[in-house]
Amino acid sequence: MATDSTIHQTVASPMPSTGVMDREPLVTNHRTYSWVSNKVCGIVEGKTPLWWWISFVICAILGTATPILIAYQVSTGVGVWGLNHPVAWAWDITNFVFWIGIGHAGTLISAILYLTRQKWRTSINRAAEAMTIFAVICAGIFPAFHVGRVWMAWFLAPIPNANAIWPNFRSPLLWDVFAVSTYFTVSLLFWYTGLIPDLALLRDRAKTKIKKVAYGILAVGWRGSNRQWWHYEKAYLILAGISTPLVLSVHSIVSFDFATSVIPGWHTTIFPPYFVAGAIFGGFAMVLTIMLPFRAIYGLQDMITQKHIDNMCKIILLTGTIVGYAYIMEFFIAWYSANPFEWYTFLHSRIAAPFFKVFEILPFEWAQNLAGLGHNPAPYWWAYWLMMSFNVLSPQLFWFKYCRTNLWVIFTVVMMINAGMWFERFVIIVTSLSRDFLPSSWDYFKPTWVDVMTFVGTFGIFLALFLLFIRFLPMIAIQEVKGVLPEADPHYHPPGKEKH
Amino acid sequence: MKKIITHPPEAPVGKRYWRSLDEYSHTDEFKEWLSREFPQGAAEFTGDDVSRRNFIKLMGASVALAGIGLSGCRRPRTEIIPFTKTPEFQIPGKPLSYATSIPRRNGALPLLVTTYDGRPTKAEGNYTFPGLNGSTDQIAQASVLSVYDPDRSKGFVLDGKVITEDAFNIFLEDFKKRFSQGNGLAILLDESNSPTRARLIAQLASLWPKAIIYSYDPVTFGRNKEKADAIAYGANQSSVPLYDNAKIIVSLDFDFLGFVDGTPTSVSRYSKSRRITSPEDSMSRLYAVEHRYTLAGGMADHRLRLPSSQIPAFTALLATELTKQGLNVGANCDQFAQFAQPDDFKQKWIQELAADLINHKGQSLVVAGPNQPVETHLMVAAINSALGALGKTLVTRKNETPSYSSIVDLANAIKSNSIQSLLILGGNPVYNAPADLGWSNLQRQVAETIHLSFDFNETSKLSKLHIPAATYLESWGDALAEDGTYLNIQPLILPLFDGLSQIQLVERLLGLPGLVAPDAVKETFKQIAKPSDFETAWNRFIHSGFLENSTAKTSGSSAQLNAINQSLAKPGVSFVALGSQDLELVIEADYSVEDGSWANNGWLQELPDPITKITWGNAALVSANTAKALGLKSYTEKGIDYGEFLRISVGGNDVQIPIQIAPGHADNSISLFLGYGRKLAGRVGGVESHQVGFDVYPLRTTNAASIILQPAIQKMGGVFGHAITQQHWAMEGRALFRENTIEGFKEDPLSAKKMGVDAHVPPNISIYQSPPLTAKQQWAMTIDLNSCVGCNACMIACQAENNIPIVGAEQVKNGREMHWIRIDRYFAGPQGSEEQNDIENPEMVMQPVACLHCENAPCEVVCPVNATVHSEDGLNVMAYNRCIGTRYCANNCPYKVRRFNFFDYNKRPIQDHQLYLGPMATKSEQDTELYKFQQNPNVTVRMRGVMEKCTYCVQRIEEAKIDQLIKAKDSSPAIIPDGSLKSACQQVCPAEAITFGDMNDESSNVSRNLKDPRSYALLSYLNTRPRTSHMMRLRNPNPKMPDAAKVGLISIEKNDSDHDDHTLNPELPAGEQKHEAASPAHGQSKSH
Repeated sequence: MATDSTIHQTVASPMPSTGVMDREPLVTNHRTYSWVSNKVCGIVEGKTPLWWWISFVICAILGTATPILIAYQVSTGVGVWGLNHPVAWAWDITNFVFWIGIGHAGTLISAILYLTRQKWRTSINRAAEAMTIFAVICAGIFPAFHVGRVWMAWFLAPIPNANAIWPNFRSPLLWDVFAVSTYFTVSLLFWYTGLIPDLALLRDRAKTKIKKVAYGILAVGWRGSNRQWWHYEKAYLILAGISTPLVLSVHSIVSFDFATSVIPGWHTTIFPPYFVAGAIFGGFAMVLTIMLPFRAIYGLQDMITQKHIDNMCKIILLTGTIVGYAYIMEFFIAWYSANPFEWYTFLHSRIAAPFFKVFEILPFEWAQNLAGLGHNPAPYWWAYWLMMSFNVLSPQLFWFKYCRTNLWVIFTVVMMINAGMWFERFVIIVTSLSRDFLPSSWDYFKPTWVDVMTFVGTFGIFLALFLLFIRFLPMIAIQEVKGVLPEADPHYHPPGKEKH
Repeated sequence: MKKIITHPPEAPVGKRYWRSLDEYSHTDEFKEWLSREFPQGAAEFTGDDVSRRNFIKLMGASVALAGIGLSGCRRPRTEIIPFTKTPEFQIPGKPLSYATSIPRRNGALPLLVTTYDGRPTKAEGNYTFPGLNGSTDQIAQASVLSVYDPDRSKGFVLDGKVITEDAFNIFLEDFKKRFSQGNGLAILLDESNSPTRARLIAQLASLWPKAIIYSYDPVTFGRNKEKADAIAYGANQSSVPLYDNAKIIVSLDFDFLGFVDGTPTSVSRYSKSRRITSPEDSMSRLYAVEHRYTLAGGMADHRLRLPSSQIPAFTALLATELTKQGLNVGANCDQFAQFAQPDDFKQKWIQELAADLINHKGQSLVVAGPNQPVETHLMVAAINSALGALGKTLVTRKNETPSYSSIVDLANAIKSNSIQSLLILGGNPVYNAPADLGWSNLQRQVAETIHLSFDFNETSKLSKLHIPAATYLESWGDALAEDGTYLNIQPLILPLFDGLSQIQLVERLLGLPGLVAPDAVKETFKQIAKPSDFETAWNRFIHSGFLENSTAKTSGSSAQLNAINQSLAKPGVSFVALGSQDLELVIEADYSVEDGSWANNGWLQELPDPITKITWGNAALVSANTAKALGLKSYTEKGIDYGEFLRISVGGNDVQIPIQIAPGHADNSISLFLGYGRKLAGRVGGVESHQVGFDVYPLRTTNAASIILQPAIQKMGGVFGHAITQQHWAMEGRALFRENTIEGFKEDPLSAKKMGVDAHVPPNISIYQSPPLTAKQQWAMTIDLNSCVGCNACMIACQAENNIPIVGAEQVKNGREMHWIRIDRYFAGPQGSEEQNDIENPEMVMQPVACLHCENAPCEVVCPVNATVHSEDGLNVMAYNRCIGTRYCANNCPYKVRRFNFFDYNKRPIQDHQLYLGPMATKSEQDTELYKFQQNPNVTVRMRGVMEKCTYCVQRIEEAKIDQLIKAKDSSPAIIPDGSLKSACQQVCPAEAITFGDMNDESSNVSRNLKDPRSYALLSYLNTRPRTSHMMRLRNPNPKMPDAAKVGLISIEKNDSDHDDHTLNPELPAGEQKHEAASPAHGQSKSH
């Protein structure tokens, strides 16, 4: 069966055309409804491929590192990480912000692009939303377990108690708890709501009893009636409406952890928009990172077209440039505010790098001053410059169409952005803490193997969950893709002889 | 047998309350009433013909007469009561303090030791003792921990086997029999000024006339000052500087403010001479000439770095210059003229120094350090004499401590095979005897060595019999204070592992019956005090801790120039010319572990060296120039400070030790510290396989124990990572530590409030009104940077008071040390100058920082679970039970004073990565159980995962409140009077730099200090409104000195032409520019 697509109020290009000025179709090669159903459901229904098993076992094993090391950390003490006295947060919160940031693309694609009627979202939103859920799961691990006494973490919940002690509602960390849990809940509901028609499709196509029952339960009695569609569309719209401010609020609130503090390098009003832009930037990079291989493996080029990739690259270019602007503005304000502590943090804890020594060859005083900085480099200069080159310079390649179409270039750039966005959080958190007000307390942070493997393990969890997702759930929103097919337009006349 | 339990009677001072009817019944009135009411003897009369008491008396007498009970005819045993039989005055959970004292090299320190339920937990200075104001030093503070050292010796060891006490008694009886005359017997003592020990040793010497008695202490080994004093002022005379009377002090290679060479008394005296309460006050001026930065050098107004070996030449030049300028020193220094080759700078320095000394004749004082040869001390004596210092800034006293033969003589005696048996009381010569003696081989030559020591150490291992020693907190004794006052030492607890004190062992050898009873000390007391009523006087002595009016009399002897000149005519040392390029080694005792005897004390191991901030070890300190010349590097990489290894060879002995570049160190000089590299100290101090630090004793010889010239130096491969608590030494122009010259302060008394960012930013206006702080008393603290010398005593006092764990070298390297109060040490030159980051000759400043208890605390806002909140009396309090350990508070603390428990330091051993094993770590009872007895029951022991920090000693505040409430009952508000409550850091501070009290009380010391123009708030621009204020340091440079322009300016920016005018908000009247810390609470007084 197919969904009744007539109720989709399609305004996109209704008919295929040969005109060169026409928009590229969202699904190429004139694919039909049945092709879409078969293609996407086929991934779930087909035999489990060997590569899937290999990847899943590797990721699952890798993923066990996180719970094992968290258990080690909880039983032994936070000291198994490399934290020290000025740097009381490092990889834990870096990883948290990194994963939360990745979780932004999904809901942005689902909600904001939905509200703004960006039809091209349809073939990527499902996977992006799943990615969001899994990224938030990975993110949630860190703030929960980074505390010294996780068994007392329930103190964070506003539970009426005999001692009449409430959480401290002034603390941004508490806002975080609320923001992230709300975001996770809404994202999950949003994702699941979107899945229902497709789950029903899988239920109807299921050949085994178990699948029938399982998908049947998940499909919550979806029959595809007009009434159901009507409710479904409304619910989806409301959820999109709720999600949209959350996309902006979550990372703004995460940024408050830093922005409301007094630490130079943290105490910055630019953080909320800068964090949101960075999150979208990083999120899209991760969407592409995941999508490009699966698109190739499953031959989804007709649904996830070059146009999709091109659009995402443009968003990356836009947000990357916003992020670059934010970096520079942050630096400018540090100078312009004439706050010596903040200026020091930027100049001497982040920017001053050994390669400044090349300025020695210039005979000017300013050049010599810069060279002087090179002789006394900032302890984390490499992190800062990795961040700058990965996040600001590398996306500039997307100004060129060639780069937006060459998948290898794209994949390289998005991998750099993934790393760059991690370094951005590391730079903000660690370099600011390691050298704050009193030089007597300055110290250097070094991660331990536990830090590293706990983080690496979250990639295992993330990828393992994603592999499970593509194995058991339709990774492309079938009904929505069908909705953007030309056939979905009531006035559509099929070209040639192909029958609907 | 009946045990007679003696207790000191109640204090005869103060108001007398009767505690019980029983006590009340002893009063005369009651007795009178009793006799009126009943006939005589009615108290015993029970109606029968024979009272119960009389019956038992008769029965007892008949048993005695029957001859059965003759064995009972012993003097009654007196015992210290184990806690199973609760002693009098003891209320469970309530502390009791006893007056005692800790023996120290430079004179014992009087203490009041707090005990809880019979456990000594904290040593505090005896505040009734004049001159010290209740201050102590870091060793006194840490000594309490050593009582509970799990590695201390726990039994008698004969030939490597643990034996019973009975077996030991048999051995001792046999030993006594074998040495009827003391033939072939030698006794080696550690140094002690205990009059009782001296008396008993003298008795022993007369009992065994052929026995020879020696003494050895590695730190005072040279005794150069004593030798010089004996020449200059007459036999047994010693000179004592009175810094408080001096206007000009010249310290030649003498760290009189560091507690290895100096005493809390010196610090106290010195800080008195520097105390400033208004811009009109004057203060003393200190010149320091030294080879490395010492605490005295840090406090100096003018400092000249000079190798130790060149200081005799410098002294000679100073004497010559003084004579040239018209003050006839009289010492014949001409023969040293050839060694004086000062450059222009030094020449000018000496000229102006001499002029300044002459200008302040009678108010000036020159002192030289113990490492300096006799000649330096002799010239100093002549200079002081010429300057009229004697009787004013310098007094002479008769030295009461007997001197014994040197260990060198003992070595010769052993070599000549005249010693069959060697009795070593204290000390550890196998570890610390001069290397050229080859002590371990010598000791093996002796047929029988008996060693009494607190721990089973290197010497014990080579001895036939090891006897465990009791600590000073477990035994009776006595000592002399720095000023000669007679002090008591009384036990607070039975020896934990049946140790014997030196006095007890000598008593046993003498056949005296004393066991724990203070018979020997009583006898000494009788001889010294000559009391008319012994019992009362003795009880008073035990109660107050010292014998009043027993201070040594100044003898008023003058310097004998003839004797000085005779000795100077044939110098015992070869003078090194000023400006010589010869390399020297200077070996000194360590600030923490001293000669190594405190090596197994974890608090001291983790106490950073006040200058280098190295914990758990030592390094060879060199100047940057010398390091470069030697081709050695020391550098910081990824948070660890590394030093390359240096091999030093002296007399065939090699030492390999990593270097550290020390700013302000003299070139061509290498500083080394004793006390590390122990091979048998224990888990903390190191064992053979796992040594802590590097042993430099092999470089010391009998002739050159402290200053060694031209050692063979070789660069070694490899680097060593020091465990350092402060890696960044520059203040980066931040005006955190503020100082000014006294002239600058007079010109602008409010200069303290106008430095750094404070000069630029307008006053803070908060749009958020915090809830008012309603308590009647609002606590505040001031730290006077003008007084603080950076001695570290407060760090240990805080650790002892607040159950702060140690974390071990590995975790210190990871930056996880737990000290609640730390001393930030910065090296810097004048702001905005080229010398700002001068590593060769910077200024050094010390700034204690603990939680500042901000009224507007950044940590409180960010805690998601309300674990850190503000109390009504202005404390930033931590609820440990509420803390879940997000560490957000630590991140948001601009002062970085919060400390996180990364591991379960109280439960798990800190050695061998055991912390990383978590639940799998060894749960050895010994490791942690014994230490628990030290802990203060009034302070929660924190578990892992919890944040902690300075509490302003909230437990003391609460205790004072309770006491006050009990006194006040319902009658009046319970206000704790100023001065009756001291924080632990304040109490220990000999410089009285820390003041704590109620800032709502206009008359309190802390209010006065807050009003002082020198007080400023650290990082006040953040509007944290700290309750702890720092007070600006003042330097008093001599404007004529060549380096005067650079002194005292590290926090004052040089006026660049393009720089803004440094006036603070000219629209505001001066009064309003004062910092808000002086206002009571959250900016507005709402308390009344």
